[in-house]
Amino acid sequence: MWAKVGVLFTALMVVSTAALSAQDRAAHEKTKHEKALLQITGQVAGGEANLNREALYALPPAELVTSTVVTDGQHTFSGFLMRDLLEQVESQGNFVTAVALNDYAVDIPVSDFYHFDVIVAYSMDGKLLNRSGKGPLWIVYPRDDHEELQDIRYDYRWVWQLYQLDVLP
Amino acid sequence: MKRLGNTLFGVILPLVAVLVFALLLTFSLVRMFDVESAMRVEAEQNMLWVLHQSEVAALRLSKAATLAEMGEVEADAISLRFDILASRIALLKDGPQRRFIEKIGFANELDRLDEAMAAIAPMVSDFSPDDALRLRAVLAPFPRLFGRAANAAMIAEWDDMGGRLAAYRAQLRQTITFLIGIMIAGGILALTLVLALRQTRQRNRMLRRERDFSTLLISSSDEGILAVDRAGRCTLWNGAMAEMVGKPATQTVGRTLAEVAGFFAIATVRRGLTRALDGDSSQLTLQPLFQPDRDGPLHVDLRFFPLRDEGVILGAIVFMYDASDRHAAQQKDAADRDRLEELVVERTRDLDSALRREKSAADLYRNFAAMVSHQFRTPLAVADSALQRLIRRGARAEADEVAERAGRARDAIAGLTRLVDSTLDTARLDAGQLGARRVKCDLTGIIEAACARQREATPDRRIVLQHAAPPRSPALCDPAHAEQIVENLLSNAIKYAPAGAPLSVILHGDARHLSCDVHHAGASIAEADREYLFERNFRGTNSVGIAGTGIGLFMARTLARMQGGDVTLQPSCEGVTFRMTLPAFSQRP
Repeated sequence: MWAKVGVLFTALMVVSTAALSAQDRAAHEKTKHEKALLQITGQVAGGEANLNREALYALPPAELVTSTVVTDGQHTFSGFLMRDLLEQVESQGNFVTAVALNDYAVDIPVSDFYHFDVIVAYSMDGKLLNRSGKGPLWIVYPRDDHEELQDIRYDYRWVWQLYQLDVLP
Repeated sequence: MKRLGNTLFGVILPLVAVLVFALLLTFSLVRMFDVESAMRVEAEQNMLWVLHQSEVAALRLSKAATLAEMGEVEADAISLRFDILASRIALLKDGPQRRFIEKIGFANELDRLDEAMAAIAPMVSDFSPDDALRLRAVLAPFPRLFGRAANAAMIAEWDDMGGRLAAYRAQLRQTITFLIGIMIAGGILALTLVLALRQTRQRNRMLRRERDFSTLLISSSDEGILAVDRAGRCTLWNGAMAEMVGKPATQTVGRTLAEVAGFFAIATVRRGLTRALDGDSSQLTLQPLFQPDRDGPLHVDLRFFPLRDEGVILGAIVFMYDASDRHAAQQKDAADRDRLEELVVERTRDLDSALRREKSAADLYRNFAAMVSHQFRTPLAVADSALQRLIRRGARAEADEVAERAGRARDAIAGLTRLVDSTLDTARLDAGQLGARRVKCDLTGIIEAACARQREATPDRRIVLQHAAPPRSPALCDPAHAEQIVENLLSNAIKYAPAGAPLSVILHGDARHLSCDVHHAGASIAEADREYLFERNFRGTNSVGIAGTGIGLFMARTLARMQGGDVTLQPSCEGVTFRMTLPAFSQRP
C-alpha cells in the first residue's frame, strides 16, 4: 500500500519537476553554485558535509501530507527523508542537533527518523520554501499518520529555517 | 419480616450497588476522557515564545542595521535578519497565531507592522549604509509592540491556564467523588459477596450433614435400598440389599442390575424399573427371590420410585422389603382355609349321604308295600297253593306227595325269608349299620360253597367253576360279605341267563387283587342300562317278568367297595360278565 503511494508521489514529483517554469529553472541554475544550504557537522564522514541545493535535490524525493501546529489545514510537503540524508553522509550518531537561522536549536534522537518517515521539506504545496517564510528547509513529521506525534514534545522538533545539523554520538 | 430483610439485603442492595457502581464508573470515565482531551496543549499557547522570538528578530535586524551603518557587517546579514523577521511576521499572520493576535487585540498593529515590512523590503534588497537610519526608524516600534503583545499574551495564557486548571480541578473533584461512590458500592458488593459466601458455606455444611444423615439412614435401614442411574447402572446398594441378594456393594455398584442378579431380569421387576425411569412409581408384592446359597426363596415386596431433580429424572430408587414372614403366614392361612374347605366338603358329603340314606330308607319303606305286593305275593301264593292241595288231598295224600308239596311250601317260605333278609340288609346298609370286618380269608372256599348252595337251589342249572390260575395269596375281606356278593352275582346270572345256558365262575388274580368273574352267555345288557345297572332299585329293560328287588347289584357293589374292592360289568361282546375284585392279603400292610 505505502509502496504504491510512494510510487505515485514519485511520479508526481517527476511531473512537477518537469513543469518547473523557465524562470524557476533559471533560478535553479543560479543557485546551483550557491553556497551550502545545509551544513552537517559531527559524527559524519569527513567530520563535515556541506550540501547545496543540487546535492539535496539529488536525494530520493519524498512527499508527505500532514497538518501542522502553526498553519490551518493539511499541506503537501516535498523533500527527502532525514534518514536518507544521514545515510548519505554516513552519520554515526544517535542525536542530531538541528539549528535554525534564528539560532533555535533542538536535539532530536536519530531513532525518530527510523520510527517515522520524517522528511526535510524544501517545498510546501508545490511552492519552494523561502527564507522569509519557513525555508529554506523545514523538518516535517508525519503528524497526521501517528497519534503519538500529536504532542508538544514532538512539535518543538519541527525546526524550520533549518541550516545546520550537528550529529552527536 | 425476616424474609423481606433477606430480599432487601440479598438481592436489592447488591443490584443497586452494581447499578451505582456502573453509573459512577461511566461518569468517571466520561470526565477522565474530557480531561484527557482538554490536556492536549495547543501550539498557540506557545505564543509568548513566538512573540519573544519576533521581538528578538526585530532587535537583531535593528542591530544589524546599526552595525551595517558602521560598516561592520555585509548587506547579506541585513537580508538574513530581515528574512527572519519577515518569517516571524508571516508566522503571526498565519492560522492559529493570527486568531490569537486578534483575540488579544493586536490585529491592527500586526497589519501595520506587515505594511512597514513591505515598505522597507526594497531598502533591504538593495541595502546601502545610508538606509540604516531610516530602517531603524521604521523598526523602532516593532520591539515595543511585540513586548506589549507578549505581555497581553502572557496574561491571556495565564487566564486561560488558570481557567483550565480550575476546570481540571472541578472535574477531578467530581471524579474523586465518583470514585468514593464507586468504593462504597464496591464495598457493599464485597460485603454482600462475603455474606453470600458464608451463607453458601453454611448451606453446604448443612447439605453435607443431611447427606451424611441420609447415608446413615440408608445404610442402617432394614429395608434393602438400591438406586440406578438413567442408563440402569447401580449407584447405591445398602447393607440390607446386600444381605437379601447375597452380593456386597463392591460387586454391584457400577453394573447394570441384570448383571447383578437374575432376579432383576424378571419381566415384572424390569418393567417396574423401566416405569420408574419413565417417571411412574409402582410396587410389586411377594416376589420370590432365590439366592444360590439359600434353600428356599425369600419373598420380597418391591417399591419403585423415580429420582428427580428439578423435574429431570436422574434415575430410579428401589426399596426391597423382606416379606417372607408375611408370605409364610399367608401360606398357612391358605392351607388352613383349604383344610377347612375340605372338612366342610367332607361333612357335606356325610350329610348328603345321610340325607340320601334317609331318603332311600323312606323310599324303601314306600316301595316296601309295592315290593311286598309284587315280590312277596308270589312265594306266598306258591306256599299257599301247596298247602291248600295238601289240605284238599287230606288223608289221600301219599307221603311222597306230602313231602313234595311241603318242600315246595318251605322253599317258597325260604325265598321269602331271604327276600326279607336282603331287604333288611339294604336297610342296614343304608343306615350305615353294616360294617366290614376284613380278615385274611380263602376266597376259593367261599366261592365253592356259594356255587354248591346255588346248585342245590337250582339243580337244573349247570355252574362251572374254573381257576384260571391258582391264586397265590388269600384275599383280605369280610367272608360273609364276600359270600353274599358271590351269591348275588350267581342268582342274578341264574335269573337273566337263558334256560339251559351254563354259568361259569372264574377265579383269577395277581399280587395285589383277586377277581371272580361270573359269566353267562345270555343277551348282552342294553347300552342305555349299563350306566344305571348298579343303582339302587334299578331294573333293566330285560327284567320284565323276572322277580327281583333291583337292589342285588347295588348291594354287591356297595359291599365290595366297603372292603376296598369293586363289582363291575366287564365290557364284552359275548354274554354278560360281572367281576368282583377284592384286595389280596399281603404281609406288608
